[in-house]
Amino acid sequence: MVKVVTDSCSDITPQLARELGITVVPLYVQFGSETYRDNVDLSTEEFYQKLKTSNVHPTTATASPAHFAQIFTELAEETTEIMAITLSEKFSAIYAAALQGKAMVKTDCRIEVIDSRAGAGAQMLLVIAAAKMAQSGANLDQLTDRIKRAIPKAHIRMAFDTLEYLRRGGRVGKAQAFLGGLLKVNPVLGIKDGEAFPIARCRNRAQAVDFLVDSVRGFARIEAVAIEDATTPEDLELLAQRLKDVVPAERTYRSKVSPVVGAHVGPHVLAVSILEAL
Amino acid sequence: MKTDLADGKTLKEMFASGTAWLEKSAPDINAINVFPVPDGDTGTNMLLTMQFALQEVKSSSDSHASSVAKSLAHGALMGARGNSGVILSQFFRGLAKGLEGKANFDGADFARALAGAAQTAYKGVASPVEGTILTVLKDASKAAKEAAKDNHALIAIVAAAAKSAEESVARTPGLLPALRDAGVVDAGGQGLYILLDGALQFLKGESHKIQYRRPRLVVAEKELIPRAAQRLTHLEMPHGYCTNFVLEGQNLDSARIDKGLKKRGQSLIVTGDDTLVRVHIHSFKPGEVLQYAMKLGKLHEIAINNMDDQYADFIKMQRERMPQVDIAVVTVASGEGFFELLNSLGNIIIIPGGQTMNPSVHELLQAVESAPSDNIILLPNNKNIVSAAGQVRSLTTKKLKVIPTRNIPQGIAAFLAFGYDLNLEQNARAMEKAIGRVKAIEVTRAIRTTRLDGLEIKKGQFIAILNDEDFISRADKAEEAIFEALGKAGADKAAIITIYYGMETKGAEAQQMAKGIRDQYNAEVEVIQGGQPHYHYVISLE
Repeated sequence: MVKVVTDSCSDITPQLARELGITVVPLYVQFGSETYRDNVDLSTEEFYQKLKTSNVHPTTATASPAHFAQIFTELAEETTEIMAITLSEKFSAIYAAALQGKAMVKTDCRIEVIDSRAGAGAQMLLVIAAAKMAQSGANLDQLTDRIKRAIPKAHIRMAFDTLEYLRRGGRVGKAQAFLGGLLKVNPVLGIKDGEAFPIARCRNRAQAVDFLVDSVRGFARIEAVAIEDATTPEDLELLAQRLKDVVPAERTYRSKVSPVVGAHVGPHVLAVSILEAL
Repeated sequence: MKTDLADGKTLKEMFASGTAWLEKSAPDINAINVFPVPDGDTGTNMLLTMQFALQEVKSSSDSHASSVAKSLAHGALMGARGNSGVILSQFFRGLAKGLEGKANFDGADFARALAGAAQTAYKGVASPVEGTILTVLKDASKAAKEAAKDNHALIAIVAAAAKSAEESVARTPGLLPALRDAGVVDAGGQGLYILLDGALQFLKGESHKIQYRRPRLVVAEKELIPRAAQRLTHLEMPHGYCTNFVLEGQNLDSARIDKGLKKRGQSLIVTGDDTLVRVHIHSFKPGEVLQYAMKLGKLHEIAINNMDDQYADFIKMQRERMPQVDIAVVTVASGEGFFELLNSLGNIIIIPGGQTMNPSVHELLQAVESAPSDNIILLPNNKNIVSAAGQVRSLTTKKLKVIPTRNIPQGIAAFLAFGYDLNLEQNARAMEKAIGRVKAIEVTRAIRTTRLDGLEIKKGQFIAILNDEDFISRADKAEEAIFEALGKAGADKAAIITIYYGMETKGAEAQQMAKGIRDQYNAEVEVIQGGQPHYHYVISLE
């Protein structure tokens, strides 16, 4: 069976990863000289607590090629086919690190490294889809073909209350069109061509939630949906309630942004990701 | 205190690592290169300069610090391109002077050398400008000097210099208006910071990580409106040729050459010694510049770039960094504050409406025709010109959608609803939907005693009009008129109340008004200076 590997910016919960047999490679979040493995040494709650009290702004770093090489080597003992789906290379050098890791491994095991062109919930849905297909017996070639075709069908809509974290972290991408506005707005961003893209400017949180729900309704055939928050579980619950009529609960995954993602989006994001029917 | 001494090899490796990091960052640095000329090649130029410098020491196994420094300086001089490249070569010249005679050096030596490098760099530029690489270098060397008081370890000094450089780059838009207007930090300063940061990574033993690190530029201290492409397209003037060469001769006098070339162009830098002089100039007549120099000796490393071509490439590069949208938005507005607000929200063409907000069909048509797209959305912001706007449609071959905005708050709401991922039809629909959610109250003073809807209004009283047609309150004081109007307009149901105060209203009064409104209503209240004529207040309810 193909073994699926991803990185921690997919925001997949440890339980779900275990259930689906997905290996998660952690990135790093750093507060000054303190380094933490994403969702391993530091949870989302702990991260945001530290964010409040620390006087250094957190930075993030990618996993090393050596680490990927180690993971691939270990998995190669259980399988002959591995698929690694990473965060978009426009957000992080992790795709390159995974490729280098693959090059460092001496094994007959086939390894396919795919740039998800996405992140967070959108990346998560692709990874879940891959793992499920692997479980139903798809081989690496079939999986590669299907996932590559699924990539343009994965969407994310993330509502922010500020773009300052994204701006400081240098990942604002085309969403820079929303910077510098003199009105207070709640921007909603998506990911297009692997980088942040401006979608809407809502006037307040309530409007933003409406927008997120409408976004989901805008898709005719949905495979699965993922909803995430950072520090606002009540808002997540509200969103979940409103989506109940649109997508059945068993195809709605709930999660939190990982600390590494959190360092770039801030404490008040709310996101919905949609994977269209494949 | 005892610290390890570094040698020439370390110096070489530091700058090799810095160059590797610069190579990764060069495209991003090019993209923010707006000063002194938006030719988009600062990153490339600094990289070329560094590559020449390193080439000079590449094959040598020289470990004598002073010797390596001199070779770096010589290589940089020979390879220097563009403003930043030449200043960088000055940096190395100063560094070499500071390390003169030393086989080994520690942090304190390096700090001293940095200070000398900063001085040399400043001296090399005829009219030094703050907010550029010079400022960053100055700040970095100051920090290095400060750090050297407590610690002589090289890594500590370079770390202090790099950190200070980073903070300095973030501040550059505050020092140089051209940067702030274009919404970027200084490219040359950025390059210098990258160089120092790369050197630091070597000293930390992490330079091998550079190859798979994501290049990241320093972000401005304050959020800036990203408008390089928008703003710079208005500065369409011929730029000339960026002319660079090294003059080799005898008894060369840099000051005299500087004088001789001053009138032939801009951004002139002449630097060197009596046998080797580096020249950089932006000139419309590069031939004359070369001819002049050829009389004084031999020319090497001649590089001439057409800056108009570079500028065109730069604009193209800027456009690609913003979401591609083939829809232009045209609107009518009055008030400096509104102009600023609208421009801060995106690319928009504003027709000044003057006192009456009533531009002619001709003015509307002109704006539509000059817009950089064949798909236009027009926001008239005045119910009286919605029909004139409709007439424009028959006068142009462009695809024009008129969103029937009756006032500026509706125009703003419509513009906010603009979707970068929507086509013309979809945008028109989204914007029309958005204006339905906005109510506007306009407050002005009666210019004569009159009767409205059966009510007597005295000259000078404040009157409030809802949605441009319903007169809903009048009072001697603006506050009274406004609170009555808010009540009648259903402000208790509004989520957001925005107060735009006009030319004749003081900010303090508007803030007071806002405070009163916040006390009474649940809505979020925002105060913005609209600067509009005629209406003392325009209040939007959403």
